[in-house]
Amino acid sequence: MEVLIKDIANTYLPELVLILFILINLAASVFLHKNMYRISKGLTLTGIICAIAATFYLPISTEDSFAFGGAFLSNAYTLFFKILILISAFFLTLLSRNMVRSTRELAFEYFTVFLSGVLFAMCSVCVMDFVGLFVCLSALGLSCYLLLTYTKSANARQLSFGYLVIGGVASSLFVLGLSYLYGLCGQFGFVDISNYFAQNPPHVLLTFVVILMTVTILFKLGIVPFSSWLPDTFQGAGYPIAAYISVIPPLACFGVLARLLLIMMPFTTSLKLVLASLAVLTILCGSLCALRQTNVKRLMAYSMSVQSGIMLLGLCVFSVYSLSGVLFYLFFYVFATIGAWAAIILFYNSCKLEEIRDFNGLIYHRPYYVIAFTIILLSLAGIAPTCGFVAKLFLFSAVARSGFVFLPFLAVAMLASVIMVFAYWNIIRAMFRRVENSVEIDTNIVSSKLILYACAFATILCCIFADKIFVVLQLISLYM
Amino acid sequence: MLSLIWLIFAPLIAAGIILFPRFPNHQVKVRRFAKSFAGLHFIYTLFFLLFFDTSLYGMSFEKELTFFGMTWLKSLGISAKFAVDGIALLMVILTSFIVFVTMVVSKIHIRSKHKLYYSMVFLFESALLGIFCAKDMFLFFVFWELSLIPLYFLVSQWGNSEARPAAMRFTFGSFALNMLLFFAMLILYYYNFAVSNVLTANIESLSMDEKIYPLWFQIMVFGGFLAAFAIRVPFAFLHSWYPDIQSKAAAPVNILISGVLLSSGIYGLIRFNMLVFPSVFKLFAPILMVWGVVNLLYGGALAIVQSDIKKIISYANISVIGFVMLGLGSLTQIGFNGAVFMAVSAGIVYAALFVVISSIQFRTKTTYITALGGLGEVMPKCMYLTLIICFCAVGVPFLMMFTPKLMILTGAMISDLDNDLLVKLCSIGGMAAVAMSAGYILYFFYKVFCSVLLEQWKGLKDLGPQEISVLAAFVAVIVYFGVYPMSIVQIYQSVAGMIQDILQV
Repeated sequence: MEVLIKDIANTYLPELVLILFILINLAASVFLHKNMYRISKGLTLTGIICAIAATFYLPISTEDSFAFGGAFLSNAYTLFFKILILISAFFLTLLSRNMVRSTRELAFEYFTVFLSGVLFAMCSVCVMDFVGLFVCLSALGLSCYLLLTYTKSANARQLSFGYLVIGGVASSLFVLGLSYLYGLCGQFGFVDISNYFAQNPPHVLLTFVVILMTVTILFKLGIVPFSSWLPDTFQGAGYPIAAYISVIPPLACFGVLARLLLIMMPFTTSLKLVLASLAVLTILCGSLCALRQTNVKRLMAYSMSVQSGIMLLGLCVFSVYSLSGVLFYLFFYVFATIGAWAAIILFYNSCKLEEIRDFNGLIYHRPYYVIAFTIILLSLAGIAPTCGFVAKLFLFSAVARSGFVFLPFLAVAMLASVIMVFAYWNIIRAMFRRVENSVEIDTNIVSSKLILYACAFATILCCIFADKIFVVLQLISLYM
Repeated sequence: MLSLIWLIFAPLIAAGIILFPRFPNHQVKVRRFAKSFAGLHFIYTLFFLLFFDTSLYGMSFEKELTFFGMTWLKSLGISAKFAVDGIALLMVILTSFIVFVTMVVSKIHIRSKHKLYYSMVFLFESALLGIFCAKDMFLFFVFWELSLIPLYFLVSQWGNSEARPAAMRFTFGSFALNMLLFFAMLILYYYNFAVSNVLTANIESLSMDEKIYPLWFQIMVFGGFLAAFAIRVPFAFLHSWYPDIQSKAAAPVNILISGVLLSSGIYGLIRFNMLVFPSVFKLFAPILMVWGVVNLLYGGALAIVQSDIKKIISYANISVIGFVMLGLGSLTQIGFNGAVFMAVSAGIVYAALFVVISSIQFRTKTTYITALGGLGEVMPKCMYLTLIICFCAVGVPFLMMFTPKLMILTGAMISDLDNDLLVKLCSIGGMAAVAMSAGYILYFFYKVFCSVLLEQWKGLKDLGPQEISVLAAFVAVIVYFGVYPMSIVQIYQSVAGMIQDILQV
């Protein structure tokens, strides 16, 4: 009993709190009247806040603390991801207001699935063996599939079908890789496997196995050969759900991917080059496709793909600098993406329009909305005085530092990211166009507006205080 | 009180004040605030000149921007340090002066979105000042890229109906080349780290003169820097954006671009390509000289055949920039002195010519040379003031452009580059360009002011007191620095000496 309490207090208190609130939500859906949107939202927000408070209760030290016989880890690295996931979940809950309110009877179900997705995203960063990892990633995927069916239109379901199919294939590839790996070394735990390969010579199959296993992660990140589902799914999904898919799974996946590479990189040297070329390919293809989009949601889908590509390029270099650069980029990416989605959701809720040309001439009505959105888009594009630039500086300088092998990749990636600036610029250009536009932005949605302005402000502020954050992240990635 | 931080961020604060929701959305109030702020800012920059120690052999007024005692990006060795040397200080004063003039001229041309316009001009000024004062390479890049965003809006929002695609082309061409610049900067930064084992991006301690990597490597990095700067200078064959934008942007924006934007490119060329890569620059010098002569002749030839007066003056400006390249390429002290002097005087003289064009465009609503003519009859004051400016552009003695032309041609003549024939040809080409400049400038002057007055311009009014005072200020500057050229040269002479030392080694 004492050990159990000590384990809870040291490792998995936030997850436990979230489970508790998921159960309360489920119970409430049974006992309370159906259309109680406010109560379910309140429960969710309280749950997330309590979980954030619980993460601060966990000991923050460079020591790792384990639970479940070493299968569940808690240290500064996992804490960083937990807090980031929870904060973005908090914002996403606020952003789902209008969509959930319009379908009242499903509010409890929506938030239950939402919270379990968050829970499994948090767990997947913490688990230390492959079976647990598979369960967490599959459950995370499942919650995404369920959320996608939340919209009632048949068209939306059809569009998101590709996600389900490719996701299923990717998961089965993961299992295939896992079975090979088990065949090779007879272990499931991360530590055991790396010990095994340190003592025995790595097998020829190993690179192949690792690539099979990373496919499911790359799929969730929208890396190029596996990204065909992204735009369709985003177009079909409700806005808050698209925002959810573009934030929570990438956070979890980068957390996992860094850990996987940490274990496997010493034994599979060619993995670096494979991942780097995939990353560059993603940046190139994603930004070229984004250029011709007329739908905001599809543009955001490609944006997610390109940003993951940039982060993957940083990750595959794999040094302390690059890892902390990736963490900083993730930190920036979460805020900028949520800000962009807040702006888009605000716009959609007021006029139910979703083409880029519908933004025409907004500067005449809502100058502050336009300026905040412009700052966020410039930041996503990585233009100088915003956080996006500093994030790129950290990431690219880490890549440049790692040696000559990656310089060609870096050059192509940087030039390709200019194309993405064009794509973001399409929205800015539309907003500043000299035409009269009768669209009025609904000013009553205070929470979305606050998120938009807060994120715009945060991207500037993070540019100024970048070093403070970066030093902390360097420490975190040193003791990963 | 004399702090570069205030100097750079004051326009930014002014932009913030104008954009603040409570600030009255009334055009007169916005304009008066902008004008008075720009004027005070100009006076403030003059104090820097007053306290500037011209004998100093490095950068002065050094100041670091810290945030609650923290360096900006300390873990990467990047700090928000600002400092100026003589050249930078000259550019700072030029920027502040041109912005002030722009604010005054904007009154008659800007008819909508006043708040956005004036805040964008201030943002642009802040970015340009940051470029000139940054002591850190990446800080320089931040301001370099920042300057494009207000420029895009200034051109596209207040230009004519074709301005938007032109602004788009320029901005995105620049963004692409900026990425090349950024890449080159990263390589230079780690190269420096490999040589000195200190992670720093301080401009003064960067150098790529050690031979730890082969020469072609250095040349490639040099090329990355050159590409970004050459498009802004602009070098011939990379110049197409310049007349394109100038003919479509609003008149005050023309003044801003021709006065300041080009100087920032020249400054970058001197600051990075010359000082950081001295050995590659010595190889590049003959090419730069030839390219400068091409600029002079090609720009001049294109200027004569244009039908839009904005394009004539733009091509004339491109042609004159050729002198700067010729001076820098000659690798002599007098050539270098002349080049910097030329950069400043080209900024002033061509900004003045665009002020004249703005007055004409405001009255006639056209810039086509066939539609104009004989305006001297109805606008005599304008004609006489323009005549002085045109004489200056031609290179008449005792006006501002005479001395730099003389210095540059002397520098080109005595240049001891290896290829003797090339040097001679270049100086001959430069002299031919002087004669050519008389051709296109006087062609412009004759066609606009002298030939037959058309019927529809009979009732035009002459310049008002505000326009006269602006042009008179320009003429005063032109005459003063024509008579006392050394008063400019002595500001940056010590820097020129330093550059000479670096290049001689």
